[in-house]
Amino acid sequence: MKKLTLTVSSFAAMVLSATMATTTHAGNDVDYTKMSSKELAEHLLFNTGSFKLDQPVQEGGTAKARLVQDETQKLCTEFRGQRPDADTAAKVSQMARETIKYPEGGIKLGDWKIGRELAWSGFGYRVGHKNDDHSKAANGPGGNCYNCHQLATDRTGGNLGPSLTGYGKLRGNSEAIQKYTYDVIYNAHSLFACTNMPRMGASGVLSQEQIGHIMAYLLDPESPVNK
Amino acid sequence: MSVRTYVLLLSALALGSAQASSDFTDMAPEEILERLIEDSGSAYLGQSPQNRQMMPDNPAYWVAEEGEELFSTPRGPKNVSLEGCDFGKGPGVLEGAYVELPRYFEDTGKVMDLETRLVHCMTTLQGFDKKDPAVKKRHGSGSDMMKLQAYIAMQSNGMAWNPPMDHPMEKAMRDAGEEIFYRRAGPMDFSCQTCHGTTGQRIRASVLPNINEPHEWTKAISWPAERAGHQNVRSTQHRVRGCLWQMRHPGIVAGSDASIALISYWTDAARGQPAILPDLKR
Repeated sequence: MKKLTLTVSSFAAMVLSATMATTTHAGNDVDYTKMSSKELAEHLLFNTGSFKLDQPVQEGGTAKARLVQDETQKLCTEFRGQRPDADTAAKVSQMARETIKYPEGGIKLGDWKIGRELAWSGFGYRVGHKNDDHSKAANGPGGNCYNCHQLATDRTGGNLGPSLTGYGKLRGNSEAIQKYTYDVIYNAHSLFACTNMPRMGASGVLSQEQIGHIMAYLLDPESPVNK
Repeated sequence: MSVRTYVLLLSALALGSAQASSDFTDMAPEEILERLIEDSGSAYLGQSPQNRQMMPDNPAYWVAEEGEELFSTPRGPKNVSLEGCDFGKGPGVLEGAYVELPRYFEDTGKVMDLETRLVHCMTTLQGFDKKDPAVKKRHGSGSDMMKLQAYIAMQSNGMAWNPPMDHPMEKAMRDAGEEIFYRRAGPMDFSCQTCHGTTGQRIRASVLPNINEPHEWTKAISWPAERAGHQNVRSTQHRVRGCLWQMRHPGIVAGSDASIALISYWTDAARGQPAILPDLKR
């Protein structure tokens, strides 16, 4: 009985000090000036109550997982947007290629009209003060392609990525082009290591079906992208 | 033209030429912006002639007027004004205080920005509870917080961004903020650098500021500013929150140490450039 009481009270003490550690101000128990900048950054992100880490997120689980970096993010962070060295590039590309999952029965182009809406829509996966409710999106969360790319000329696209106007017209519709296009959308690092482009398929932002629709928007001769 | 512009024009004529002066503190926000555009030809700075035209009639001025009144009014359970609040240059000193934030404060042992410092003074000097709407409500032109921030920040218009970097805590926070700025994370692998690391980058129709170009970055961080599309005056913390939301990162807590680290870094990046306060943005 005595042993049990000790365990309970020391557990309570642990919980209490853990709570205190996350709410005390800088300098009270953790000296910010004694940490490296990287250590302090990680500490600020995870241990100081600076983020709503317990908030549920659309992909399941909590927001904390979004701040945990995977290998690709860790490697590419070092280059701050510049091109990685050849060894890192090879490693990142290889890792990326291994993530690519092709649809059962092979790559098929979907409906370019749905692809057009998905390319325009920036809805999805936002959390914090306003959570995107994915049940409200008829075709699922969007790919937000227009944010970074110019596509059809009836809408304004960004220039963080290359222009995709006339994408299919320029390249044709061969199996090789379809595979290439699928690979870039699914995990662009497979071809462009440490690219700024999100890993639409590998990170689960877009489903294989959605990628098929966006591919149609890019490759179908009837799509406004190719008119 | 507005009365204010007329008066400025008269004094410019009287002094000889506002154009010849390199003292940005004599210039209205839109004049500072025009000068920066002339000198740089920046696509980011020059992207909205319409917004520049609206600046003399910036609704932020009315919000700041209310802030001026709030500042000197005795309020809260302790019934004192904010004139005793030290924003880094001594109690009640507002001229140039904003461009020297964030900074380390001995009395709290923390690096603080304007918002956290205001919360501190409202709760300690004036005795407001943290949960009182006067303190808790951070967003919207109707909030005490935005009125006070707009007023206080304006007192640094045209002054060079100059956050102190002498204290080890100031350096630590700034450096951690730099790591956070470049840290790729989330389902989109975005860091701040993804959008803000190259000149002339555009998200859809909006040209983005490049943190490596101080003349662009000074406008980028000139908050409080009227967001024309929101019809509200917005704060620095509001901008941080908005960015992280679009980046698909977790929600950040207002005034948290991570937010201060980021703000420390990005204020240091604009060092030496004239602040444009209040600004008017899309």
